[in-house]
Amino acid sequence: MIDFLNYLINGALVGLLYALIAMGFVVIYRASKVFNIAQGELVVFGGFMVWWMIVQAGLPMAVGIPLAFVAAIAFGLAIEKIFFSRLVGESVFSMVMVTIGLLILIRGLVLVLFGPAVRPFPIIFPLKPIILGDILIPRSLLFGGLITIATGLGLSWFFNATRTGLRMTAVAEDHQVALSLGISVKRSIAFAWALGATLSTLGAIIFLSGKSLNFLASDIGLAALPVALLAGFESIAGVLLAGLIVGIVQGLVTAYVDPAVGGAVGSVFPFLIMLAILFIRPTGMFGWKTIERV
Amino acid sequence: MDPAGVYATSYSADSALVRTRAQAICLVVFLALLVAAPFVVGPRLLAISTVMLISSVVAVGLQINTGYAGQINLGQAAFMGVGAYAAGWLATRFGMPFWLTIPLGGCAAAVFGFIFGLSAVRIKGFYLALTTIAAQTLFHFFFLNLPWFGGSNGLQLEPATLFGFAFVSDRSLYYLCLVVTVIMTFGAYGIARGRHGRAFVAVRDDDVAAGMMGIDVVRTKATAFLVGAFYAGVGGALWAYFVRFVAVDQFTLFHSIWFIAMIIVGGMGSVTGALIGVFVIKAMQETFVTLGPSFVELFPGLGGELVFALMNVFLGGVIAAFLIFEPRGLMHRWNIIKRSYRMWPFPY
Repeated sequence: MIDFLNYLINGALVGLLYALIAMGFVVIYRASKVFNIAQGELVVFGGFMVWWMIVQAGLPMAVGIPLAFVAAIAFGLAIEKIFFSRLVGESVFSMVMVTIGLLILIRGLVLVLFGPAVRPFPIIFPLKPIILGDILIPRSLLFGGLITIATGLGLSWFFNATRTGLRMTAVAEDHQVALSLGISVKRSIAFAWALGATLSTLGAIIFLSGKSLNFLASDIGLAALPVALLAGFESIAGVLLAGLIVGIVQGLVTAYVDPAVGGAVGSVFPFLIMLAILFIRPTGMFGWKTIERV
Repeated sequence: MDPAGVYATSYSADSALVRTRAQAICLVVFLALLVAAPFVVGPRLLAISTVMLISSVVAVGLQINTGYAGQINLGQAAFMGVGAYAAGWLATRFGMPFWLTIPLGGCAAAVFGFIFGLSAVRIKGFYLALTTIAAQTLFHFFFLNLPWFGGSNGLQLEPATLFGFAFVSDRSLYYLCLVVTVIMTFGAYGIARGRHGRAFVAVRDDDVAAGMMGIDVVRTKATAFLVGAFYAGVGGALWAYFVRFVAVDQFTLFHSIWFIAMIIVGGMGSVTGALIGVFVIKAMQETFVTLGPSFVELFPGLGGELVFALMNVFLGGVIAAFLIFEPRGLMHRWNIIKRSYRMWPFPY
């Protein structure tokens, strides 16, 4: 029973981490209608920024982490300036294709700047787990989970209730309609990428705290994909719930099914849940249902 | 567009693939060059050419799926892997000859692809594209864990044999791949010009309008996945006989992304474009790999990995630049040049 509780709680917290990474996908989608395939590379880039500021440049954490966020935002804005500002008015298809180019490009850039070596990531959350009776909870995941919930609810409020957020929602609905309403699609996309890069850096901090980092950490982006699809790309608060579902199921499957089968069922199971749910609800749990008019 | 003075007087002439004598001559010369290539180029270039041929089959399949039918497919390498494993398994387990395993490898991949195509019944747009990433994960999991495929050791293959002749030498493998590639490419031209190709284009341009015209949209999308995956499977089977070793690491998401890069650079919606894209991307990759060591000698401060990394930066930039400045690829640029040459001195 204690084991079960342990798996359950840890699964839920890992799920919230996935939710945070998935939020990066959703935020960029919600403000620009672009699905960013290079999300995992943004996480790696953010992680390396933090590593560089704290380990390489030797800055104290209170200075280094904010500076890393600033660098990530600048990076996101640069991506918008170089690539997407030229694509306003082009089809969404080619914008998504650009993110495929970005995936290759950012991976190369990270390799050029930081090399393929495995680097120790600074310990941002104390390594000692919190012990409640027999239950062990890693601090990084617990604090990370709380940050994720707060960010998720905050962003959800921002996109659904504030004027700026609703403007971006209009961009996600249709670029042309948004333009004709006098909304700056360019600014919305810039904001999306800055926010996406920020969330990725936050995800990198929680994910990597006390672990090691190299360019292969981008796989977390792929692991978070079922969460984003399950929730529906348009829903930010939904990502939290989808993250919990995926995390708990994955945790339990890894704990109970993997030893029996002798394989990594836990890592493919989220994709199976995702496929199953998409068959029942093609737009995810909370995605917008679009009505097609001729 | 045809040059002035060329017009068809019968339906078969109108739908012909080769329309003018100049085109026929170009085709024959090109094929003759391909046949003569092994006697001209060195062993390294020959191996690169064989890889190009194999990639061409896979990229042409992706072109049908993504370029013609407009369904983004991020799992083409997984489909290729299914073909490679199926061919390898049939050959080692049942001792089937290669002329059976290559088509059957294609069929196995087609079935796998069709399952993802079928999800088009319910899932639309980017959701559909992203479920193909699940193909990549599922492929990796199943072929690593199912008992018949050698797990992490991969599959070893005997060379393909025909009437006692074993395809071991680089030259014979090149010809094997060339023959298959030529057949598959002509098949692709046929599909693109025929009823199915037109249905693909209609669905790509507007699936609501296509449905109104009486095209079964879901079936068309599923067929596109079926055909694209079949091509990937055939390419995978060729790869299995070329390397004679199959492992899951040869077919990752990153490989799928390279295939998409190839059709972007070559030109979406053109079989010839896919071939050009394969050539350009592979040639650039190999140039970087070849020039890398001398580059490192020139600037000893740089490490060996840096060249590979720089290649990624460069190629990623090239893909983005193509989408920004020439979204329809090199093929479109070529068509513009051809047209302006024919129209000269008039602008249009």
